[in-house]
Amino acid sequence: MTLNDMNPIDKWAMFVSTGLMFLGIVVLGFLELLDGTPHGAAPITNDAGDVIATPLVDPTIRTGLVIAGLVVLLLLGVYRLMVPVTGPEETPTAQTAD
Amino acid sequence: MATQTQTPLLGEHTRLNLRGGWQQYWLASLRLLVGWWFLHAGLSKLLADGLNYTYGPIYLQGMTDTALGGIPVWMGNNLAWLIKPGVPLFETLIGLAIMVGLLTRLAAFGGVFFMTLFWVGNAGFGHGLVNGDLMGLLLFLTVGILGAGRYFGLDALVEKTGFVENHPRLRYLLG
Repeated sequence: MTLNDMNPIDKWAMFVSTGLMFLGIVVLGFLELLDGTPHGAAPITNDAGDVIATPLVDPTIRTGLVIAGLVVLLLLGVYRLMVPVTGPEETPTAQTAD
Repeated sequence: MATQTQTPLLGEHTRLNLRGGWQQYWLASLRLLVGWWFLHAGLSKLLADGLNYTYGPIYLQGMTDTALGGIPVWMGNNLAWLIKPGVPLFETLIGLAIMVGLLTRLAAFGGVFFMTLFWVGNAGFGHGLVNGDLMGLLLFLTVGILGAGRYFGLDALVEKTGFVENHPRLRYLLG
């Protein structure tokens, strides 16, 4: 079976969860790089502790996107506990193919 | 020899094609190492502080202005009775469960929960969001999604019992 044959709920959860994680980590991380110093996700301070440069996107927003992705996976897990997959595909198999 | 294993979390038709040998062995090894990481963390806290890990609530109370909002601070203020014994106890149980591969997905969920708090709470983002805490979180997620307990783990045996076969939803806690 291919991705196209997957259950729509599983497929939706898979794409949304990973999409949120990629957005928070990769896409916004790349924009942070393009924006210049700081290239990381934390403010830069001088020796006196004063903030001299702040990230383009608040890390709270970026971590929030990742957490939202995790929550989608959690919700899918809870849903699957209530509505388990039925049929022959549900059983883990160990097949000798060669 | 090739082995196909369903990964229910990713959908009913998604099968991970794990060739026998290295892939299964490595997944089991990864499970052992990740499990030992948490087992060691839990046992060392138990040996040092017993069931009174007072730093747990203090750590949560310091988690202000995070993406988790007021949840950690509320937990630190109101659930100290649970957190003080819970942190060392749950870390130990999560580590042990993952090492032996029993209730692997449930334990991996616990690991993800812990690592999310550590990742957001430590906020070591000087080199970006991807740091050791996030890597740990992703390791637990990987162990759970792939059902790593089925490879040389007790879940492989438990899932063959009649009880689990009659209650297939348990596979979302096992695996």
